[in-house]
Amino acid sequence: MHEKTITITIDERGNSTPDLEGFAGQGCEKAFDDFRGGDMVKVERKKPVYYAGQQIEREKSRR
Amino acid sequence: MSKYSVNQTVLREEKYLVEALKEMGYQVEVHPDGAPLNSYYSDQEAKVANIIIRRDQLRGAYGDVGFVRQPDGQFATIKDELDEYRGYGARWLGRVQQLYKEKQTLAMTRAKGYTLKSREVIETSQGEQVRLQFVARR
Repeated sequence: MHEKTITITIDERGNSTPDLEGFAGQGCEKAFDDFRGGDMVKVERKKPVYYAGQQIEREKSRR
Repeated sequence: MSKYSVNQTVLREEKYLVEALKEMGYQVEVHPDGAPLNSYYSDQEAKVANIIIRRDQLRGAYGDVGFVRQPDGQFATIKDELDEYRGYGARWLGRVQQLYKEKQTLAMTRAKGYTLKSREVIETSQGEQVRLQFVARR
């Protein structure tokens, strides 16, 4: 099982950029919410791996 | 990585804001009910703030700098307009937000079971970046 890591970069303009590795689907959303901490989202993009995780979760729930 | 976002830090929690300002070397006044700010022109209408740095600590500033809690819970900055161009503008506020966000993140991760793996300070052409790496236990 892959380790779940989060790298957050905070710049001098007050922007923070969380970068998640090893997460998928709802686990990804939960971790993002934790690290956003009520901040204002300026840019957000989901990557293909995110949707792949959702597909796996759907298949598990069908079984 | 499955998701990417850029977030603008919102100052909401007094504790981390005060800690950030102290780390910048300021002695901070905290007034839960608000206190007036001093400005360069004594005849200007006094503005009220909850967290205040007096101008004797702000090199070159015309007035005090304050943070006032707004109805939505966010802190807004109050200062003399002229001080925007005397070192207390967006860049100064960005540094406050950077320190605030780091402190808030470290506290949140301790409470929610993430483990700090590393902390790096990276020099870039756009200033210092703080990079924190965590491992999720779950």
